[in-house]
Amino acid sequence: MTQELTTPGPTMPATRGADAHAEPVVTNPKLGMWLFLSSDCLFFGAFISAFLLYRGRSQGGPSADDVFDIPFTSATSFILLMSSLTMVLALAAIQRGDHRRLRIWLLATALFGATFIGGQIFEFTEFTREGLKLDTNLLGSSFFVLTGLHGAHVTVGIIWLVSLWGLSMQGLLPTAHAERIEIAGLYWHFVDVVWIVIFTLVYLMPR
Amino acid sequence: MTDDQSPDSGSSVAEKVEHEVEKVEHELEEAEREVEERLPESVTTPAPGLLPGEVSPHPSPFRYVMIAVILVVVTALEVAVSYLEDTIPDALIVVLLVVMAVIKFGLVASWYMHLKTDKPIFRRFFVLGIVAACLLYLVVLMTLHVFS
Repeated sequence: MTQELTTPGPTMPATRGADAHAEPVVTNPKLGMWLFLSSDCLFFGAFISAFLLYRGRSQGGPSADDVFDIPFTSATSFILLMSSLTMVLALAAIQRGDHRRLRIWLLATALFGATFIGGQIFEFTEFTREGLKLDTNLLGSSFFVLTGLHGAHVTVGIIWLVSLWGLSMQGLLPTAHAERIEIAGLYWHFVDVVWIVIFTLVYLMPR
Repeated sequence: MTDDQSPDSGSSVAEKVEHEVEKVEHELEEAEREVEERLPESVTTPAPGLLPGEVSPHPSPFRYVMIAVILVVVTALEVAVSYLEDTIPDALIVVLLVVMAVIKFGLVASWYMHLKTDKPIFRRFFVLGIVAACLLYLVVLMTLHVFS
Protein backbone atom coordinates (compact mmCIF):
# COMPACT_ATOMS: atom_id res chain seq x y z
CA MET A 1 0.00 0.00 0.00
CA THR A 2 1.52 3.31 -0.99
CA GLN A 3 1.61 6.23 1.40
CA GLU A 4 -0.42 8.25 -1.11
CA LEU A 5 -3.31 5.80 -0.88
CA THR A 6 -3.53 5.87 2.87
CA THR A 7 -3.07 9.61 3.26
CA PRO A 8 -6.29 11.58 3.00
CA GLY A 9 -6.08 13.68 -0.16
CA PRO A 10 -8.55 16.00 -1.87
CA THR A 11 -10.81 13.07 -2.71
CA MET A 12 -10.06 10.93 0.31
CA PRO A 13 -11.91 12.08 3.41
CA ALA A 14 -10.09 12.61 6.66
CA THR A 15 -10.72 10.01 9.33
CA ARG A 16 -13.05 10.59 12.24
CA GLY A 17 -11.54 12.55 15.03
CA ALA A 18 -8.86 14.10 12.83
CA ASP A 19 -11.14 16.97 11.99
CA ALA A 20 -14.47 17.86 13.59
CA HIS A 21 -15.79 18.95 10.18
CA ALA A 22 -14.39 16.00 8.20
CA GLU A 23 -15.52 15.49 4.59
CA PRO A 24 -18.33 12.95 4.28
CA VAL A 25 -17.22 9.53 3.11
CA VAL A 26 -19.71 9.64 0.23
CA THR A 27 -18.29 12.45 -1.88
CA ASN A 28 -20.40 14.82 -3.94
CA PRO A 29 -18.80 14.04 -7.34
CA LYS A 30 -19.46 10.31 -7.00
CA LEU A 31 -22.97 10.77 -5.65
CA GLY A 32 -23.62 13.31 -8.42
CA MET A 33 -22.45 10.85 -11.07
CA TRP A 34 -24.74 8.13 -9.72
CA LEU A 35 -27.67 10.57 -9.72
CA PHE A 36 -26.85 11.51 -13.31
CA LEU A 37 -26.66 7.85 -14.35
CA SER A 38 -29.96 7.20 -12.61
CA SER A 39 -31.61 9.99 -14.60
CA ASP A 40 -29.89 8.81 -17.80
CA CYS A 41 -31.76 5.49 -17.41
CA LEU A 42 -34.97 7.44 -18.00
CA PHE A 43 -33.37 9.30 -20.92
CA PHE A 44 -32.33 6.15 -22.77
CA GLY A 45 -35.52 4.37 -21.70
CA ALA A 46 -37.52 6.93 -23.69
CA PHE A 47 -35.62 6.26 -26.93
CA ILE A 48 -35.56 2.48 -26.47
CA SER A 49 -39.33 2.57 -25.89
CA ALA A 50 -39.80 4.68 -29.02
CA PHE A 51 -37.83 2.07 -31.00
CA LEU A 52 -39.96 -0.77 -29.60
CA LEU A 53 -43.13 1.21 -30.29
CA TYR A 54 -42.22 1.83 -33.94
CA ARG A 55 -40.77 -1.65 -34.58
CA GLY A 56 -42.45 -3.39 -37.48
CA ARG A 57 -44.66 -0.37 -38.25
CA SER A 58 -42.54 1.12 -41.01
CA GLN A 59 -44.28 1.86 -44.30
CA GLY A 60 -41.85 1.40 -47.16
CA GLY A 61 -38.07 1.62 -47.15
CA PRO A 62 -35.63 -1.10 -46.07
CA SER A 63 -36.49 -3.23 -43.02
CA ALA A 64 -34.17 -4.21 -40.16
CA ASP A 65 -33.62 -7.63 -41.75
CA ASP A 66 -32.44 -5.93 -44.96
CA VAL A 67 -29.81 -3.72 -43.34
CA PHE A 68 -28.64 -5.19 -40.01
CA ASP A 69 -25.30 -6.98 -40.10
CA ILE A 70 -25.31 -9.00 -36.85
CA PRO A 71 -21.73 -10.40 -37.09
CA PHE A 72 -20.32 -6.89 -37.59
CA THR A 73 -22.34 -5.37 -34.71
CA SER A 74 -21.40 -8.34 -32.50
CA ALA A 75 -17.74 -7.54 -33.14
CA THR A 76 -18.16 -3.87 -32.20
CA SER A 77 -20.16 -4.92 -29.09
CA PHE A 78 -17.28 -7.20 -28.13
CA ILE A 79 -14.88 -4.25 -28.48
CA LEU A 80 -17.05 -2.08 -26.21
CA LEU A 81 -17.20 -4.88 -23.61
CA MET A 82 -13.41 -5.14 -23.69
CA SER A 83 -13.15 -1.38 -23.15
CA SER A 84 -14.98 -1.87 -19.83
CA LEU A 85 -12.28 -4.35 -18.81
CA THR A 86 -9.45 -1.94 -19.67
CA MET A 87 -11.28 0.81 -17.76
CA VAL A 88 -11.39 -1.19 -14.50
CA LEU A 89 -7.75 -2.18 -15.04
CA ALA A 90 -6.91 1.55 -15.28
CA LEU A 91 -8.62 2.13 -11.92
CA ALA A 92 -6.82 -0.84 -10.37
CA ALA A 93 -3.52 0.57 -11.69
CA ILE A 94 -3.95 4.04 -10.17
CA GLN A 95 -5.03 2.49 -6.86
CA ARG A 96 -1.75 0.55 -6.85
CA GLY A 97 0.12 3.76 -7.72
CA ASP A 98 1.16 2.32 -11.10
CA HIS A 99 0.81 5.42 -13.27
CA ARG A 100 2.49 3.94 -16.37
CA ARG A 101 -0.15 1.17 -16.59
CA LEU A 102 -2.88 3.67 -15.75
CA ARG A 103 -1.97 5.63 -18.90
CA ILE A 104 -1.76 2.45 -21.01
CA TRP A 105 -5.20 1.24 -19.92
CA LEU A 106 -6.76 4.69 -20.27
CA LEU A 107 -5.44 4.97 -23.81
CA ALA A 108 -6.56 1.40 -24.60
CA THR A 109 -10.07 2.21 -23.34
CA ALA A 110 -10.21 5.39 -25.45
CA LEU A 111 -8.95 3.46 -28.50
CA PHE A 112 -11.54 0.71 -28.03
CA GLY A 113 -14.20 3.40 -27.71
CA ALA A 114 -12.93 5.12 -30.87
CA THR A 115 -13.01 1.76 -32.72
CA PHE A 116 -16.62 1.28 -31.62
CA ILE A 117 -17.51 4.75 -32.91
CA GLY A 118 -15.66 4.01 -36.16
CA GLY A 119 -17.78 0.86 -36.50
CA GLN A 120 -20.93 2.85 -35.87
CA ILE A 121 -20.00 5.43 -38.51
CA PHE A 122 -19.32 2.60 -40.99
CA GLU A 123 -22.67 0.99 -40.10
CA PHE A 124 -24.55 4.28 -40.54
CA THR A 125 -22.84 4.87 -43.90
CA GLU A 126 -23.76 1.37 -45.08
CA PHE A 127 -27.39 1.78 -43.97
CA THR A 128 -27.62 5.11 -45.79
CA ARG A 129 -26.17 3.51 -48.92
CA GLU A 130 -28.82 0.79 -48.69
CA GLY A 131 -31.55 3.43 -48.54
CA LEU A 132 -32.22 3.69 -44.78
CA LYS A 133 -31.90 7.32 -43.69
CA LEU A 134 -33.13 9.29 -40.69
CA ASP A 135 -36.27 10.34 -42.56
CA THR A 136 -36.89 7.18 -44.63
CA ASN A 137 -39.31 5.46 -42.23
CA LEU A 138 -40.04 4.84 -38.54
CA LEU A 139 -37.17 2.33 -38.31
CA GLY A 140 -34.70 4.92 -39.66
CA SER A 141 -35.88 7.65 -37.27
CA SER A 142 -35.95 5.53 -34.12
CA PHE A 143 -32.77 3.57 -34.91
CA PHE A 144 -30.54 6.51 -35.86
CA VAL A 145 -31.71 8.68 -32.95
CA LEU A 146 -31.26 5.90 -30.36
CA THR A 147 -27.89 4.59 -31.53
CA GLY A 148 -26.70 8.10 -32.45
CA LEU A 149 -27.38 9.36 -28.91
CA HIS A 150 -25.54 6.36 -27.52
CA GLY A 151 -22.64 7.12 -29.87
CA ALA A 152 -22.64 10.73 -28.61
CA HIS A 153 -22.33 9.41 -25.04
CA VAL A 154 -19.39 7.21 -26.09
CA THR A 155 -17.73 10.20 -27.80
CA VAL A 156 -18.03 12.29 -24.61
CA GLY A 157 -16.48 9.37 -22.72
CA ILE A 158 -13.55 9.20 -25.15
CA ILE A 159 -12.87 12.94 -24.74
CA TRP A 160 -13.02 12.49 -20.95
CA LEU A 161 -10.58 9.55 -21.03
CA VAL A 162 -8.12 11.35 -23.29
CA SER A 163 -8.26 14.38 -20.95
CA LEU A 164 -7.46 12.14 -17.97
CA TRP A 165 -4.63 10.56 -19.95
CA GLY A 166 -3.28 14.06 -20.70
CA LEU A 167 -3.49 15.04 -17.02
CA SER A 168 -1.65 11.88 -16.03
CA MET A 169 1.05 12.55 -18.64
CA GLN A 170 1.63 15.96 -17.01
CA GLY A 171 1.75 14.40 -13.55
CA LEU A 172 -1.49 16.09 -12.51
CA LEU A 173 -3.30 12.87 -11.60
CA PRO A 174 -1.76 11.59 -8.36
CA THR A 175 -2.89 8.39 -6.67
CA ALA A 176 -4.90 10.42 -4.16
CA HIS A 177 -7.11 11.51 -7.08
CA ALA A 178 -8.05 7.93 -8.01
CA GLU A 179 -11.70 8.83 -7.52
CA ARG A 180 -11.55 10.88 -10.74
CA ILE A 181 -10.76 7.69 -12.64
CA GLU A 182 -13.50 5.85 -10.80
CA ILE A 183 -16.11 8.47 -11.73
CA ALA A 184 -15.05 8.45 -15.40
CA GLY A 185 -15.22 4.65 -15.18
CA LEU A 186 -18.78 4.76 -13.84
CA TYR A 187 -19.83 6.81 -16.86
CA TRP A 188 -17.98 4.50 -19.24
CA HIS A 189 -19.50 1.32 -17.77
CA PHE A 190 -22.94 2.88 -17.89
CA VAL A 191 -22.49 3.52 -21.61
CA ASP A 192 -21.51 -0.15 -21.87
CA VAL A 193 -24.58 -1.44 -20.00
CA VAL A 194 -26.85 0.75 -22.14
CA TRP A 195 -25.29 -0.87 -25.22
CA ILE A 196 -25.94 -4.33 -23.72
CA VAL A 197 -29.65 -3.41 -23.65
CA ILE A 198 -29.62 -1.78 -27.12
CA PHE A 199 -27.74 -4.69 -28.70
CA THR A 200 -30.27 -7.20 -27.33
CA LEU A 201 -33.48 -5.26 -27.95
CA VAL A 202 -32.60 -3.58 -31.25
CA TYR A 203 -30.37 -6.09 -33.04
CA LEU A 204 -30.97 -9.57 -31.62
CA MET A 205 -34.70 -9.73 -30.78
CA PRO A 206 -36.78 -11.72 -33.28
CA ARG A 207 -38.49 -9.40 -35.75
CA MET B 1 -32.18 53.42 22.56
CA THR B 2 -34.38 54.57 25.47
CA ASP B 3 -33.14 56.67 28.42
CA ASP B 4 -33.23 53.77 30.90
CA GLN B 5 -30.97 51.63 28.68
CA SER B 6 -27.42 52.66 29.43
CA PRO B 7 -24.59 51.46 27.15
CA ASP B 8 -23.48 49.26 30.06
CA SER B 9 -26.77 47.35 30.27
CA GLY B 10 -26.72 46.96 26.44
CA SER B 11 -23.31 45.37 26.48
CA SER B 12 -24.28 43.03 29.32
CA VAL B 13 -27.30 41.82 27.31
CA ALA B 14 -25.01 41.23 24.32
CA GLU B 15 -22.63 39.29 26.54
CA LYS B 16 -25.54 37.19 27.87
CA VAL B 17 -26.72 36.40 24.34
CA GLU B 18 -23.19 35.54 23.27
CA HIS B 19 -22.84 33.27 26.26
CA GLU B 20 -26.13 31.53 25.43
CA VAL B 21 -25.08 31.04 21.79
CA GLU B 22 -21.78 29.53 22.90
CA LYS B 23 -23.66 27.20 25.26
CA VAL B 24 -26.00 26.01 22.50
CA GLU B 25 -23.09 25.55 20.09
CA HIS B 26 -21.26 23.49 22.67
CA GLU B 27 -24.35 21.32 23.27
CA LEU B 28 -24.73 20.81 19.52
CA GLU B 29 -21.11 19.73 19.19
CA GLU B 30 -21.60 17.28 22.05
CA ALA B 31 -24.73 15.84 20.43
CA GLU B 32 -22.94 15.55 17.06
CA ARG B 33 -20.04 13.71 18.68
CA GLU B 34 -22.47 11.37 20.45
CA VAL B 35 -24.26 10.53 17.16
CA GLU B 36 -20.94 9.91 15.39
CA GLU B 37 -19.83 7.57 18.15
CA ARG B 38 -23.03 5.55 17.85
CA LEU B 39 -22.69 5.13 14.05
CA PRO B 40 -20.79 2.06 12.82
CA GLU B 41 -17.15 2.68 11.94
CA SER B 42 -17.73 1.85 8.25
CA VAL B 43 -20.17 4.73 7.89
CA THR B 44 -17.87 7.42 9.20
CA THR B 45 -14.39 6.18 8.44
CA PRO B 46 -13.08 4.77 5.18
CA ALA B 47 -10.85 1.75 5.47
CA PRO B 48 -7.23 2.51 4.57
CA GLY B 49 -6.62 2.46 0.82
CA LEU B 50 -10.30 2.48 -0.07
CA LEU B 51 -11.87 5.09 -2.29
CA PRO B 52 -14.63 7.30 -0.87
CA GLY B 53 -17.91 5.42 -0.59
CA GLU B 54 -16.19 2.05 -0.82
CA VAL B 55 -17.06 -0.44 1.95
CA SER B 56 -14.73 -3.29 0.97
CA PRO B 57 -11.78 -3.44 -1.48
CA HIS B 58 -12.36 -3.61 -5.22
CA PRO B 59 -11.91 -7.00 -6.92
CA SER B 60 -8.45 -8.06 -8.10
CA PRO B 61 -7.47 -7.57 -11.78
CA PHE B 62 -7.68 -11.37 -12.17
CA ARG B 63 -11.35 -11.31 -11.18
CA TYR B 64 -11.95 -8.41 -13.60
CA VAL B 65 -10.53 -10.54 -16.42
CA MET B 66 -12.64 -13.56 -15.38
CA ILE B 67 -15.76 -11.39 -15.49
CA ALA B 68 -14.77 -10.17 -18.98
CA VAL B 69 -14.46 -13.80 -20.10
CA ILE B 70 -17.97 -14.56 -18.80
CA LEU B 71 -19.29 -11.44 -20.57
CA VAL B 72 -17.74 -12.54 -23.86
CA VAL B 73 -19.13 -16.08 -23.51
CA VAL B 74 -22.63 -14.80 -22.70
CA THR B 75 -22.47 -12.38 -25.67
CA ALA B 76 -21.47 -15.25 -27.96
CA LEU B 77 -24.41 -17.30 -26.63
CA GLU B 78 -26.75 -14.36 -27.21
CA VAL B 79 -25.69 -14.07 -30.84
CA ALA B 80 -25.98 -17.86 -31.29
CA VAL B 81 -29.52 -17.85 -29.80
CA SER B 82 -30.58 -15.03 -32.13
CA TYR B 83 -29.75 -17.30 -35.10
CA LEU B 84 -32.14 -20.04 -33.84
CA GLU B 85 -35.20 -18.12 -35.03
CA ASP B 86 -36.53 -20.97 -37.19
CA THR B 87 -35.58 -23.72 -34.73
CA ILE B 88 -37.11 -22.65 -31.40
CA PRO B 89 -40.20 -20.53 -30.63
CA ASP B 90 -39.74 -16.74 -30.70
CA ALA B 91 -41.07 -16.45 -27.13
CA LEU B 92 -38.28 -18.70 -25.88
CA ILE B 93 -35.69 -16.67 -27.80
CA VAL B 94 -37.02 -13.48 -26.23
CA VAL B 95 -36.85 -14.99 -22.72
CA LEU B 96 -33.31 -16.33 -23.26
CA LEU B 97 -32.06 -13.03 -24.70
CA VAL B 98 -33.59 -10.99 -21.86
CA VAL B 99 -32.12 -13.33 -19.23
CA MET B 100 -28.65 -13.14 -20.80
CA ALA B 101 -28.83 -9.34 -21.14
CA VAL B 102 -29.84 -9.09 -17.45
CA ILE B 103 -26.88 -11.31 -16.48
CA LYS B 104 -24.45 -9.12 -18.44
CA PHE B 105 -25.99 -5.92 -17.08
CA GLY B 106 -25.78 -7.29 -13.53
CA LEU B 107 -22.15 -8.39 -13.90
CA VAL B 108 -20.98 -5.01 -15.22
CA ALA B 109 -22.99 -3.03 -12.65
CA SER B 110 -21.99 -5.23 -9.69
CA TRP B 111 -18.29 -5.76 -10.41
CA TYR B 112 -17.11 -3.10 -12.84
CA MET B 113 -19.26 -0.30 -11.39
CA HIS B 114 -18.47 -1.66 -7.91
CA LEU B 115 -22.05 -1.69 -6.66
CA LYS B 116 -21.14 -4.90 -4.83
CA THR B 117 -18.36 -3.28 -2.80
CA ASP B 118 -19.62 0.31 -2.51
CA LYS B 119 -22.04 1.86 -0.06
CA PRO B 120 -25.66 0.75 -0.65
CA ILE B 121 -26.77 4.34 -1.27
CA PHE B 122 -25.31 4.20 -4.82
CA ARG B 123 -27.10 0.94 -5.56
CA ARG B 124 -30.36 2.41 -4.30
CA PHE B 125 -30.06 5.45 -6.57
CA PHE B 126 -29.26 3.31 -9.62
CA VAL B 127 -31.99 0.76 -8.94
CA LEU B 128 -34.43 3.61 -8.43
CA GLY B 129 -33.58 5.00 -11.89
CA ILE B 130 -33.85 1.60 -13.57
CA VAL B 131 -37.12 0.65 -11.85
CA ALA B 132 -38.63 4.08 -12.55
CA ALA B 133 -37.64 3.85 -16.24
CA CYS B 134 -38.93 0.27 -16.61
CA LEU B 135 -42.25 1.00 -14.90
CA LEU B 136 -42.87 4.27 -16.72
CA TYR B 137 -42.10 2.95 -20.20
CA LEU B 138 -43.81 -0.40 -19.63
CA VAL B 139 -47.01 1.47 -18.78
CA VAL B 140 -46.59 3.68 -21.87
CA LEU B 141 -45.89 0.72 -24.17
CA MET B 142 -48.77 -1.34 -22.73
CA THR B 143 -51.11 1.60 -23.14
CA LEU B 144 -50.08 1.75 -26.80
CA HIS B 145 -50.63 -2.05 -27.16
CA VAL B 146 -47.02 -2.76 -28.15
CA PHE B 147 -47.01 -6.21 -26.54
CA SER B 148 -50.42 -7.35 -27.80
